[in-house]
Amino acid sequence: MTYPLVSFKNVTKNFGKMNAVTNLNFEIDKGEFLAIMGPSGCGKTTTLRMLAGLENPSSGEIRFNNRLMNNVKPHERDTPLVWQSLALFPFLNVQENVEFGLKMRGVSSKTRQKKSLEWLEKLEVRELAKRDISTLSGGQKQRVALARSLVMEPEILLLDEPLSALDAHLVIRMQAVLTQLQKELGITFVYVTHSQSEAFAMANRVIIMNVGEISQIGKPKDIYRSPANQFVAEFVGRNNILSGKVYDIKSKIAFIKTNSGNYNFEIIDKNIELGHTLNYIISADLMNFSLVKPKNSNIVNCKLISEEYIGSMVTLFLESVDGTEFKIQMQEREYSKLNIQNGEKYWLSWSKKNVHTLKKD
Amino acid sequence: MGGFNTALFFDMKSNRETINLYSLTFRVPIIFWQLLFFVGPVLFMVAMSFFLVKNYRMTEAFEFINWTKMFSKNYFWDSYWFTLIIAFISTLLTMVIAFPASFTLAFRVSENFRRWAIFLLIIPFFTSYLVRTFSWYVILAEKGVINALLSYINLGPFIMLNTHIGTLVGYMTLTLPLVIILQTVTMANIDKNLIEAAFNLGCKPYLIIQRVIIPLSKTGFIIAAVFCFILSFGDFVAPFYLGGSQEPTLPILILDTTKSGQQWPRAAVVAIVMMVTLFAIAFIGIMTAYSKSFKNDKR
Repeated sequence: MTYPLVSFKNVTKNFGKMNAVTNLNFEIDKGEFLAIMGPSGCGKTTTLRMLAGLENPSSGEIRFNNRLMNNVKPHERDTPLVWQSLALFPFLNVQENVEFGLKMRGVSSKTRQKKSLEWLEKLEVRELAKRDISTLSGGQKQRVALARSLVMEPEILLLDEPLSALDAHLVIRMQAVLTQLQKELGITFVYVTHSQSEAFAMANRVIIMNVGEISQIGKPKDIYRSPANQFVAEFVGRNNILSGKVYDIKSKIAFIKTNSGNYNFEIIDKNIELGHTLNYIISADLMNFSLVKPKNSNIVNCKLISEEYIGSMVTLFLESVDGTEFKIQMQEREYSKLNIQNGEKYWLSWSKKNVHTLKKD
Repeated sequence: MGGFNTALFFDMKSNRETINLYSLTFRVPIIFWQLLFFVGPVLFMVAMSFFLVKNYRMTEAFEFINWTKMFSKNYFWDSYWFTLIIAFISTLLTMVIAFPASFTLAFRVSENFRRWAIFLLIIPFFTSYLVRTFSWYVILAEKGVINALLSYINLGPFIMLNTHIGTLVGYMTLTLPLVIILQTVTMANIDKNLIEAAFNLGCKPYLIIQRVIIPLSKTGFIIAAVFCFILSFGDFVAPFYLGGSQEPTLPILILDTTKSGQQWPRAAVVAIVMMVTLFAIAFIGIMTAYSKSFKNDKR
């Protein structure tokens, strides 16, 4: 019988009266890149710390290769962690930092030297071996911290928002380094972050957490296109969330009445019945924008409130007559052609196929 | 940014001048104070070490006789080495005795408890050091508290007053609370992530002090030790009242010299030797404490 590398079974962690995580159930497979994502205080870091043994679960079971790990001390585990603050030892130079773990394991000085240089080489910072930690740049420290953890040649590497302190362009580079490393080494990475772009860029699978519970587990694309509930829909991506009552169903098309108007969408697999109240989403990048009234059925007339630039993308925030907020994403070059003014009214439309209904929370 | 825009308050042209005057008013008093009460007396003391004493009266002169006399006396060098060694032993003992307490306060108690503990450690400084020293008489005397307790298990009596033990106890009365405070503050400021990172990399709990905590506390610990040494080395009260002064330390030697034949110039020689010694030790201490940054400069 084969076991998953890690399994969480009904894991709960309380700090005094405070509930950090509740009833976690999930598995981590060998060789996968798993991201745990959520807003601050959602319990993602606590989950990671339990994997490293820095916290013990209050109840439930954590198993590694089916071995119960609940009371195994951090120094008896092989779960190196890359810290948000990196936590490099300032009193040791680069190479001594990388050797630290091996030294603690009683590896001979010769092997330590060989291995530490090997890993520094792999992370392209070998020339820094004798340098002091305080003389390194943010990106260099990052690589040294990775080398210090990877030199232990663990089955699983834990990363706690390691890129959050880096400049934007370095983040992209380090993301590439991490994905590359993970593929090459075949080590399981567990990556905690609050950044959707980091999680979705690197992970094979994402766990979305909210107030100590798992909201959704799935592939990045599935989470993005089919959020399980309203929280995920709001947290991930830019979604237009509409809620209304189904007033008609005709040949797999549901007609729904919302505050901002009457719309329709194709029923895919959910049991949607006449008279149901439900929430559904249209992703902001699947909305169409036009200056004149389109002929489609799903249309709404909105006033432009504000816009937000993220690189080459623009997100427009609009408001319909009844006050419902709409968002639409488009290319900056498209947007600049249109000569759009704040406060003016425009038309939004979307296809009945691009709708995703949400489960009630 | 933030703060106020000085250009709004001062004419742009006179801006520089105004600000200089402004900062000068804060700088001058401390410079003045140091010149008057530190540099001045030290210079006077150096000058005095060349004066002569005739018929119990000090007369201005420029003679090296005080220096040659003092340096040729065995009792001066005996006293010098004794003071150096006992201050060193006191520092070592204090640092070791303080460590478990500081460690507990830094890592094993709540922040609130630590705050109160530090407050309570400051309280001894409210009362006179002399009073605190005399209170040891009751405890250390031949028929004092300790020997009374020991007699129940048929031990003692041990003579502790007027011995080196007495001197060391006296020194620690002065230095122990300060050293505990300095060590505690140093260790409490350690980034806890670094300790967890060491565990995470397989460091066994009993090795953590040696591998992580002491290296991280180096600067603070050396500064605590330097303070402890300076206070012990220059202390007069402990060796005089608790140590019995048979083997005089330098501060006692200064007192004896001034008393016997009004030899203020020779006392000045001893004082200057003490100052130079302390200066050298403090300098070496601080250099070692920050040695890491020196390593960087070389690169």
